[in-house]
Amino acid sequence: MRFYFNRVFTVSAIYLIMGCGNVPPESGIRLALSSDIRGFDPAQAVDVRSGKIVSLVYDNLVHFGDSTEIIPGIAFQWDISGDGKEYRFFLRKNILFHDGNPVTATDVVLSFKRILDLEILSPQSWMFTRIEGAAEFIEGTSPFVSGLIAENDSSLTIRLKSSFSPFIQYLAMPSSAIINYRNIDTIQEIPAGSGPWKLAKWERDGKIQLIRNDNYWGEKPKEPELSFRILSEAMTRSAEFEAGNLDFLTIPSTEIQRWSTYPEFEDRVVHADELNIWYIGLNCSRPPFNDIRIRRAMNLSLDREKHLRLLIPGGELASGPVPPAFLGNNSFKPLPYDPEKAIQLLEESGYPDGLEAELWVGGGSEMFHVLEAFQSDWAAVGINVKIIRSDWNVFKSAVRIGQPPMYYLNWTADYPDAENFLYPLFYSTESMTKRNRYSNPVIDKIILKIQSLSHGIERNTLIQKANKILHDEVPWVFLWHKGNYTITQNTLLGYRPKLVFNAERFVTWEKKDG
Amino acid sequence: MGKFIFNRVLQAVPVIVGVLFISFMLMVVLPGDPVLSMVGERYDENTVEIMREKLNMNKPLMVRMGIFMGDVLSGDLGHSFITGRPVIEEILDKFPNTFILAVGAMTVAVLIGVSLGMGTSLVPGSWIDKTIMVLSLAGISAPVFWTGLVFVLIFGVYLGWLPPTGYGGLEFLILPAFTLGLRSAAQITRLTRSAMLDTLSQDYIRTAQSKQLPWWKVLVKHALPNSLIPVLTVIGTDFGSYLSGAVLTESIFGWPGVGRLALESILKRDFPVIQGTVLFMALMFICVNLVVDILYGIIDPRIRAESSA
Repeated sequence: MRFYFNRVFTVSAIYLIMGCGNVPPESGIRLALSSDIRGFDPAQAVDVRSGKIVSLVYDNLVHFGDSTEIIPGIAFQWDISGDGKEYRFFLRKNILFHDGNPVTATDVVLSFKRILDLEILSPQSWMFTRIEGAAEFIEGTSPFVSGLIAENDSSLTIRLKSSFSPFIQYLAMPSSAIINYRNIDTIQEIPAGSGPWKLAKWERDGKIQLIRNDNYWGEKPKEPELSFRILSEAMTRSAEFEAGNLDFLTIPSTEIQRWSTYPEFEDRVVHADELNIWYIGLNCSRPPFNDIRIRRAMNLSLDREKHLRLLIPGGELASGPVPPAFLGNNSFKPLPYDPEKAIQLLEESGYPDGLEAELWVGGGSEMFHVLEAFQSDWAAVGINVKIIRSDWNVFKSAVRIGQPPMYYLNWTADYPDAENFLYPLFYSTESMTKRNRYSNPVIDKIILKIQSLSHGIERNTLIQKANKILHDEVPWVFLWHKGNYTITQNTLLGYRPKLVFNAERFVTWEKKDG
Repeated sequence: MGKFIFNRVLQAVPVIVGVLFISFMLMVVLPGDPVLSMVGERYDENTVEIMREKLNMNKPLMVRMGIFMGDVLSGDLGHSFITGRPVIEEILDKFPNTFILAVGAMTVAVLIGVSLGMGTSLVPGSWIDKTIMVLSLAGISAPVFWTGLVFVLIFGVYLGWLPPTGYGGLEFLILPAFTLGLRSAAQITRLTRSAMLDTLSQDYIRTAQSKQLPWWKVLVKHALPNSLIPVLTVIGTDFGSYLSGAVLTESIFGWPGVGRLALESILKRDFPVIQGTVLFMALMFICVNLVVDILYGIIDPRIRAESSA
């Protein structure tokens, strides 16, 4: 017996002593993520967290600026041909990967080709299928992509099959990162990039520690270290911030009130805009919501203004899917609150006694509590809505097969373009296979036109037109566009909110002694 | 003893086969689709189809089961759908953290539980006894996520004595170990107390007392070992469950252990990791139970005699 206890205690003592070595860094910028990243392979960076981190350790040809603009990255200059099909990029010289090898146009070609490679099976391959010769490469009839041409080390041409204006923005997304092909074997574990940060240590589900890349060609990070702790509980993140162990916090929606009224913190709460839309998708290809009158009734019976005021601080009512940032002078108002009209519409469409419907919501969904408020609004006009809550995966599978009559969801832009709120959500082949089964040839035509036109008045007019048609057709209950509230410690300087999630590269962040 | 251990190991085999079967069937009945956790929002159908093919999801059930069982028997738990790493690596990465937390929590539980249980058994019915019994009831009833958050707020944020969350040195272990160990501590307190009260009324204790042995010797040498059997059972089952991960405690304290790995893999339908962690948890329980059984035999030779007869 003594032998056993000795063993157990010795082993545990050894573990405890070994554990004592890993005290977290006190220096540098300290942040938190709600769950771990998948890895450092840009081809697999489909979620927001992985995308954020990938964009710190890699460079792209171009990057997103603070707002909707595109800024130079590895390419210091680019020309787009008059027909919108040919992109010519001029690359900076003397840019080095973390391992010291130079970044050349060939690396760019290999990086993009890899995303299309069926062996890699990247879920992001859709980003590059519009390149000339992409289909042949995927089918295996060609060993290369004919539209991806490295002319020399520092210039590169990309030819598209047809004009596609969002393409330049695709190039700033995480999966368009330029990778070092020499280190491809370990790319999930060790980033093979040239970005402003390098990986120091990754303890899975624990912490990601990055250090400054002192050879970085652009603006070097002001702080030498940047660490992300993986803290899955919102309460825990708040506690760590309050204890001074995190420098920055995205305030959970339910805690905004609390932080804004703390005398110690209130003046450091910042509202950051985000490009998003919160909505309730209505299955348009099945009764009852295949009837536009019922869809209108769903919208009119909801007092969104009240709910927004009471529950969503800093939100803005949505008139259609496209955020106001892309609409210029927004000429029409959101649908009003008009329960009487809603009752009338229900009667006209053959539901004088009201109707019943299921509203699905995914388990991880934020702001779940607003749905209960909606329920009572709808009940007042005779629409009895049953809320079905399931875990995220089940929810997503159900939406994919078109099961839920209604579902509550939000969409956040991958890139700052109105097209991102139209094509993936309302283009008929997308909507009919992944979303709420809405199909409208007029909208399809407008979306294709928007995709082909370069930025200008004609394109903006079409965007407004699409938004107006969707506003009238109400395939969704349009809810709101909602920003984020963030808070920083008073020792942190240089934080500027960014519109797109992977635009933040933490180079301007700086800590003063305090 | 050798034969006893051998028999117990042999008994574990059907249990493991059963666990394998159940964990495989779990994947079949679990609603949802692992591919949808891997592809993001703008996937095309072709990619989804090829992924399914690659993950053997289009094959008939029996074929998939055969592949799975074959792989496991040859020691291959597969690769995570999400990270692409070998499942065994994912688990072994997290296990040392889980082990530290489990040992910490059990130490807290045993130290508090046995000493309070012994103490109260000496003064049954007194106000100290009553207070501790009420407190232990509270300890058993308080949910872990609540005690955890309260500890974080009091000791981490307001008093600032300990780091609120995180892992690393001993100072990081204290709060999660107390959070996790509290319920066992309360249970052990109550069990030790009642077992001690039982033992203390036995004849041989009275004999020992009448021999004028010092009171602490009577207590520690004669009474305590004989009260330990039920306590050991609780220690065994609790330690087994701690070793297979403590999801809530790990989540609250940002502790990268096996429990969170299991939870994340379930949420993402990462089948190989789910199967791997389930199998691992079962093995942990079997091992701990085996050790407990051996300890029974050491503490009480009558048990050994029975089982080898």
